[in-house]
Amino acid sequence: MSTEYSKPLPELNDFNRPFWEACRNNRLELQKCSDCSHIRYPVSHVCPECLSEAHEWVKVSGRGTVWSSIVFHQVYNKAFAADVPYNVAMIQLDEGPRMISNVVGVPPSQVKVGDVVEVIFDAVTPEVSIPRFRPVR
Amino acid sequence: MPGLRDKFAIAGVGATAQGTLPGSTPITLAVEAFKRALDDSGLRKQDIDGLLTMPGTTSPEGSLNYLRLGEALGIDPRYTGSMTLGGGTAGALIQNAVAAINAGMATTVACVFGDTAKTGGSRFSRASGWGDSWGIWGMFAAAANSAIAASRHMALYGTQSRHLAEVAVACRYHASLNPDAVMRKPITIEDHQNSRWVVEPFHLLDCCLISDGGVCVIVTSAERAKDLRQPLVTISGMGQAYTTRNNEREDWWYVPHQKNALDAAYKMAGVGPADIKVAQLYDNFTMSVLLWLEHAGFCGVGEAGGFVEGGRIQLGGALPVNTAGGNLSESYMEGWLHVVEGVRQMRGACGPRQVADAEVCLVTGRGMTLNCSNAMILKKG
Repeated sequence: MSTEYSKPLPELNDFNRPFWEACRNNRLELQKCSDCSHIRYPVSHVCPECLSEAHEWVKVSGRGTVWSSIVFHQVYNKAFAADVPYNVAMIQLDEGPRMISNVVGVPPSQVKVGDVVEVIFDAVTPEVSIPRFRPVR
Repeated sequence: MPGLRDKFAIAGVGATAQGTLPGSTPITLAVEAFKRALDDSGLRKQDIDGLLTMPGTTSPEGSLNYLRLGEALGIDPRYTGSMTLGGGTAGALIQNAVAAINAGMATTVACVFGDTAKTGGSRFSRASGWGDSWGIWGMFAAAANSAIAASRHMALYGTQSRHLAEVAVACRYHASLNPDAVMRKPITIEDHQNSRWVVEPFHLLDCCLISDGGVCVIVTSAERAKDLRQPLVTISGMGQAYTTRNNEREDWWYVPHQKNALDAAYKMAGVGPADIKVAQLYDNFTMSVLLWLEHAGFCGVGEAGGFVEGGRIQLGGALPVNTAGGNLSESYMEGWLHVVEGVRQMRGACGPRQVADAEVCLVTGRGMTLNCSNAMILKKG
């Protein structure tokens, strides 16, 4: 039995479509500035270091460490009612950027700052696979 | 800005009733606060030639709030506008009023806020993220951003939930002495520990209230304020600083700009942390107070947990903080009441919660997730 996915989904546009298309293909790709080589996230049309718009999408390792970890108990969006308590973490990617995501596969309160993690892709709809992270054993 | 030290003053403050105010609107509350501030100062409506406003989170006109309020007040200011810096707005508007008066653009500026976040539907549960919403990952609400800061502070420095509890307990104790506060029943550290989780590491009692209310602060020259109704309270120092790079900055979670705002205020006033005997520190969540204590130099980086132990930030302690109860227990007016309390402390008008012999009061504001900050040193004239 399929149920409709009712949680927030990315609103695809010309800027973020390459990111989400890569995720759908199980690859984490970020923008690398063609002028100053800065790798940026979140997705932006312009490099926040040098303001160049020239960039290429590069595959990153998907490895990182937990920068900060919190556990949601309160339901702010009813689509998450069955998920609480669930983890949200800020992930420090090995290539530099930080991203908000979830650490999954372990009880949410057991996620610790400094844990080494790697990306996985959660295909929540046919179009969207959400990058999340799991501990590296 | 040392040349501006003590040249400008807060001549009037006004606050409406606070809490749950059915039938009110952001405009009715802003107007009521304005009237009370006028009455407090002894000024007349026609003396106000500047109007700076913060739209309520429930104000339908948004950034056109100054137009809406100006019409309701029946005034034609020489200088006006609205800003939306969340809890960083009150301090920023007051400082901008000083700059405008100093530049000759106005003589007497009313800074006004009214909101019905309690009865009008609060918007504090929204997700952050400009491009892809953080709601995709289930990260919603203002609490989450400060919880991110708390989690990392705890991991790096050993800060404990019981340290956060000290902040909640101190604010509630102070609110118990404030007849205008919304939450007045004293709490214990155990009450804090036993309150439900909201976003770990935050319990319910780590979180501020959501409130209806209005506040107005009138800024004019110290020369003019001397002749008005209240004891003189000058703006001795002020500073603002912002981090808008968000996650591009690795220490964003630590709100590093707050130190810059504080340093600017200290420098202008010619004071340092040793001179501060009372402080109103922006407390959307308990953690924010710990970060302010470190940035303000009351203790070192990572040491605020130990600093607050044993009631040190309660009245009678080394540094009473949020002596009216703060956002946590007085009312969530996004820092506006911190300014009001700072002024009243410097007037010596706080009755049972008055900090004796305090000559200066530090007031800080912080808003929009972890992005906006400001600091002011208020001084007894």
